Amino acid sequence: MNLLVLPILVPLFTALLVALLNGRGMLQKVVSLGSCLWLTGFVFWLLLHVDKSGIESMCFGGWEAPFGIVFVADRLACIMLCLSMLVGTVVLVYTFWTVTDIQQKYFFYPLFQIVLLGVNWSFLSGDLFNLFVAYEVMLVGSYGMMMVGANRGQVLQTMKYIAINTIGSTLFVVGCGLLYATVGTLNFADLAQKTATLSGSRAGLVTAISMVLLVVFAMKTATFPLFFWLPDSYPVVPAGVSGYFAGLLTKVGVYSLLRVFIMVFRQDGHVFSINVLLVLSGFTMLLGVLGAMCQWDIRRILSWHIISQVGYMVMGVGLAANPMIAEVAIAGTIFYIVHHIIVKSSLFLIGGIAERVSGTQEIRKMGGLLDMAPGVALLFIVASLSLAGMPPFSGFLCKLVLIRAGLTGGNYLIVFVALVTGFLTLYSMTKIWSYAFWRNQCHKVVGFNYRGMMAPTAILVVMTILMGLYAQPFLSLGQRAARSVLDPQGYIAAVLGSGDEEPVADTPLEVSEPSRDPMRLVCGQPKEHRR
Amino acid sequence: MELLIAIVIGVLFGGGTYLILRPSLIRVVMGLALYSNAANLVMIACGGYSPDRTAPFVNSDTNSISTLMDPLPPDFILTAIVISFAVNALFLTTCYFVYLDHGTDDPGQLPVNKLKVENDFVE
Repeated sequence: MNLLVLPILVPLFTALLVALLNGRGMLQKVVSLGSCLWLTGFVFWLLLHVDKSGIESMCFGGWEAPFGIVFVADRLACIMLCLSMLVGTVVLVYTFWTVTDIQQKYFFYPLFQIVLLGVNWSFLSGDLFNLFVAYEVMLVGSYGMMMVGANRGQVLQTMKYIAINTIGSTLFVVGCGLLYATVGTLNFADLAQKTATLSGSRAGLVTAISMVLLVVFAMKTATFPLFFWLPDSYPVVPAGVSGYFAGLLTKVGVYSLLRVFIMVFRQDGHVFSINVLLVLSGFTMLLGVLGAMCQWDIRRILSWHIISQVGYMVMGVGLAANPMIAEVAIAGTIFYIVHHIIVKSSLFLIGGIAERVSGTQEIRKMGGLLDMAPGVALLFIVASLSLAGMPPFSGFLCKLVLIRAGLTGGNYLIVFVALVTGFLTLYSMTKIWSYAFWRNQCHKVVGFNYRGMMAPTAILVVMTILMGLYAQPFLSLGQRAARSVLDPQGYIAAVLGSGDEEPVADTPLEVSEPSRDPMRLVCGQPKEHRR
Repeated sequence: MELLIAIVIGVLFGGGTYLILRPSLIRVVMGLALYSNAANLVMIACGGYSPDRTAPFVNSDTNSISTLMDPLPPDFILTAIVISFAVNALFLTTCYFVYLDHGTDDPGQLPVNKLKVENDFVE
């Protein structure tokens, strides 16, 4: 389906058009918003279409799949695309109130479209090298975004960010080269087919190469040993855009982990690399939340929380080592990604409002926000309780699915770490609440009209409530996505299939089968199924 | 040939690491440039380069596959070269502005962790 190229073509042409319109702020806003809204509609349609009639793929220039560049939209990719465009649109509306003249003059809106382009591209890529190129586009966009209208601090932090990511890209190229030399292809579908038949020393070699790629993705996701760059760089991004960065950029890494380590690497002994992920996730969760506890800048606290939350998602990927719980664990991970992108973006947007209302970044100097901005306080308490995993909201359900999967698989240690992390997250959120919102006012009043920024933030917060109260459709969608990631036959058929226009149907789904239903697994099996 | 390329890759990665660890931003940029070249050489080695193989499709009479080189790795390398060129240019510019701002290019002297993150609206 040729329409698959739209999620990258539309931001590309919007970026060019908006760059030409530089100096006409109003027109730039209208054009960017129009294209974002249109594309959001399109990707939601694509999700429904792919969910109903199977995986879509497209070969560029008619070069057939294992040789040419291929775009593939399966359920996982479509879910990520929807989130990217939804959060992108919300953040764009939010930035209408926060963008400064100097940022607008130095191509703020075109750069934002470039970031969207890179993120969408990485979700659609059907081969490893294309994923690398998408990463680079996304990163170059984010370098620009961090430095737009920059001051001294921003340039300095961006320099660190560029250096660490350049090293990551080098390793990515090395990993691609070694994998190509070993297996002879970089196409995901072809790799999934070929690695499944590997055994012996070849399989060991592929596992070793997967460790190179693990370093790359760990750098992108900010997993345990490689998270140090994140808390410094995200707080310097302009307030609204940091919501998009926080939500999407690290999740591109988690998506790549799911795609590459669960779907593509299926050689003998691939369980080893998944187990490595499980171990790393424990450290990531715990160290991330401990880092958050000793910070005082609101967006820096939230940045450390990204690290600990990424730990949960990586834990879900790691739990998939056990085939008995793999499907529930991956479904839980996908649900967690959806929840996290929405909640973390909304928290960053709220943090941006709090900074503007109080004129400071440090929560010790804030205070009194509950009186000054009660609406913001309401949004914050909902989003932060959801992040910590309190019952009525989506954070509770996705943690429940993952922890239940861990208990069923017997991974008690990691479940313990996850629960402790959830508790400490609650502590850290309470700290922000009691310092910034509950205390007496201790700063001068900044006459700032924040109401315009509330509406886009509220959309995201309402979504986390809805996802908590009405979770079944999201969970079963996550489960269907998980099934097609774990069993890539449908993906392989759609990409490498007959090659003509005949749509290749996905494996038929039996959604209503009770024992494979994640909610059933969460709420307990019927008695006769228990051992 | 593979041994030679392997040695060159090793030297480039070693030199790059040495330069990145020097207390000077310009050397860090050069080290990263060496890294990207080393990565490109890995690609060449992985594509099975040897002097007695020719480019495919040029002399169509030599239709024996064993004398042809795989065309895909050079494609990857071209893409990677373009990207690393752009990123290095951007990085060099950033380092120059850091030098202008702080009057030093020694990362140890830069207030990397001390400087408060100033945002556009905080006075």
